[in-house]
Amino acid sequence: MAAERAPLSAGRLALWTAVLLAVLACALVLGAALGAGDVSLSDFFGPDSSRRTILLEVRLPRVLLAAVLGSALCVAGISFQALLRNPLADPYVLGVSGGASIGGVVALLLGFGIGEGIFDRIAVPAFAFGGALGALVLIEWIATVGGRLTVYTLLLTGAIFNAFSAALLYFIQSLASLEQLHAIVFYLMGQVPVFGYRVLGGLALASFLAALALFSMARDFNALSLGEEGALQLGVDVERIKRRTFLLGSLLTGLSVSVAGLVGFVGLVVPHLLRLLLGPDHRLLLPAGFFGGAAFLVLADLFARTITAPNELPVGVVTALVGGPFFLYLLRSRGGRRGNF
Amino acid sequence: MKPHLYRTVLGVALCFLACEKAAPKGDSPPASHRIVVMAPAAAEILDALGATSQLVGVGDFVQWPPEAAGLPKVGAYHAPNVELVVSLGVDLLLTTSMQAGGPTHAKLRELGVQVVTLETNTYEGVLSSLRKVGALLGKDEMAARVETRIRSQLEETRKRVINAPRRRVLFVVGREPLYAAGPGSHVDEMIRTVGGENVVAEGVSGYQLLSMEIALESRPDVIVDTSDNRPGAIRGRALGFWGQFPFLPAVKSGRVYYVEPVRLVIPGMRLPEMTALLGKIVQPEIFGEADPSEFLPFDLSGGNGGR
Repeated sequence: MAAERAPLSAGRLALWTAVLLAVLACALVLGAALGAGDVSLSDFFGPDSSRRTILLEVRLPRVLLAAVLGSALCVAGISFQALLRNPLADPYVLGVSGGASIGGVVALLLGFGIGEGIFDRIAVPAFAFGGALGALVLIEWIATVGGRLTVYTLLLTGAIFNAFSAALLYFIQSLASLEQLHAIVFYLMGQVPVFGYRVLGGLALASFLAALALFSMARDFNALSLGEEGALQLGVDVERIKRRTFLLGSLLTGLSVSVAGLVGFVGLVVPHLLRLLLGPDHRLLLPAGFFGGAAFLVLADLFARTITAPNELPVGVVTALVGGPFFLYLLRSRGGRRGNF
Repeated sequence: MKPHLYRTVLGVALCFLACEKAAPKGDSPPASHRIVVMAPAAAEILDALGATSQLVGVGDFVQWPPEAAGLPKVGAYHAPNVELVVSLGVDLLLTTSMQAGGPTHAKLRELGVQVVTLETNTYEGVLSSLRKVGALLGKDEMAARVETRIRSQLEETRKRVINAPRRRVLFVVGREPLYAAGPGSHVDEMIRTVGGENVVAEGVSGYQLLSMEIALESRPDVIVDTSDNRPGAIRGRALGFWGQFPFLPAVKSGRVYYVEPVRLVIPGMRLPEMTALLGKIVQPEIFGEADPSEFLPFDLSGGNGGR
C-alpha cells in the first residue's frame, strides 16, 4: 500500500470520512429499523402511537447511545495505541475501566440502580465515573516519575491496577446476595442501556469534545510513532501530549464503562481493521475510528437485541465473540505477513 | 479447638448411631438427626414436618422459621463451610439444586454427612422434596398429609378460575436490565394456575434478559414487578416506572403491582400461599383484592412471621 507513505490529501480524508459516515448511517438505519419485536421504521408515520413510543423512547435512544459509546471506545483505543506504541493496547489497558467497574458495582451493592427517582437511574453511572476519575488520578500519580509520565510505568501501573480491581470485584461479588450478584454480573458483562435524550445529548457532547481534542493531536501521534526521541526532534512537546492523551482517552473510557459496563474489543478490533484499510496516519485514522467504532457497536448491539429474541444478550458478549476470532483472523491473514502488528 | 473436636467426635458417633438405627427400615421410631439446611425452601419443608428441633445450623440466607434465627450460620447456599458443618456434628445437609455446591458436597459426603439436594422450583418438585425429606426423617405419613392439603388447595384455585378471563401477565424480576419470569420457573406455573397467561411464553427459560421492546409489544393486562428488593421500596398498586408507557393495558387499568420479592419469587412450601396472593393480583374479581400488607416484607419480629 503505497498510499501509507503518501501525504494525506484532503480528497482522501474527505472520501474515507464520507464512506465511514455512510456506513454509520446505514448501521443507524438498520439499528432503528430492526428489533426483537415487529416495530419498524414505518411505525414512525403509522397510526399506532404505542408503536411510535417503542420506536422513539426505547429503541432509538439505545441505538444512538451505542453509536456514542462505540465512537468513544474506538477513539480511546486508537489514542492509547499511539500513546503506548503498542498494538495490544485497548481502552481498558490503563486501568481506568477497573476504577469505573468498582465504582459502579459499589453503587449496585449500596442498592442504587433499581429505584424510580432520577438519582437512582444516574447513581450507578455517576459512581462509576467517580471511580474512573479516582483511578485516573491515582494511576497518573503513580506513573509520573521525576515529573515525567513514562509509558512503561503507565502500562505496568494500569495492568496491575486492573488485576487489583478484578480481585476487588470478586471480593465484592463473594459478599453480595444472590439478587445483587445478578445485577452485578449483568452490569459487568456490558449492556447498552436506554437513557432519555437529554442524558444522551450530554454524553454525546462530552465524548465529541474529547474526541475533537484527540483529533487535534493526530500529527503528534504520527510523530510519536517514531519513538519519543524522534518526536522530540520533530518539535513535539512529548510530555504534554502523553499526559493529555492519557487524560482524554481515560475520560472517554470512563464515560463508556460507567454507562455500559465493559464492552470489549471495540477499541481493539476496529482500530486495527481501519489501520489495515487506511494505513497508520492518525489524521485519517481518528475520524475514521470515530465513525467506524460507532457503526460497529450499533451493529453489535443490534445482534445482541435480536439474535436470541425475545431474550437479549449482553452486548459485551457479542463484541467479544465476534471481535476475538475476527482479530485473530486479521492477525494471521494480513498483519502477520506485513508485519503491521 | 477442643469443643470442636468433641463435637466432631460426637457428630461422627451420632452419625453411626443414626445409620445403624436407619438400617432396619421398618416402622421403628424415627431417628433424630442433626440437620443443616442451606436453602430457605428446605427450612420450610422441615417446619412443615414439625422437625425444626433437629436443626443445628442454617445457610446464611435462611431467615425462617424463627428457630433458625439463633442457630449458627454455615455459609451461602452454594458454599457450606465444611469445617463448620462437621464441627456441628451434622449428619444431614439439605440444600436445593445448585451446581456450584458440587465439590463441597462431595467432600461432606466423604466425611459422612448425607447431602440431599431438593428441587423446589416447581409444584411437583416441592411436593416430591417434601416426600423425600419425610422419608428421610421417618415422617412419611405427615408428609403425605401435608401433600394432600397442598394439592387440594391448588386444585381449588384452579377450579375457581376455569371460566375466568385469561389475563396476560408480565412478571418482572429485574429492570436494569430487564429480566422476567419465563417458562420453567415456579412463577410461570403460578400464573397458569390462577388463570393467567405469561407474556413471556417462548424461548426464555427461568429468568433471563428480556427485550424491553418485546415486553411492551406483548401488552400485558397485569404487571407484577418484584425488581426492587430494598427496604422502603414502592409497594402495592402503583404505576411507578411502568407509568411511562401509558398504552399498556396494565397501565390503562392501573393493574401494576409492586411486590416484595420474598412474597412471590422464593419457591418452597409457601407455593400455595404465593399462588393465592398472585390469584388476588391477577383475578381480584374471583379471589378478592389483596390486603396492602401482603405486598410488604414479612414481619419477622412478630414471631409467627413468614405465614
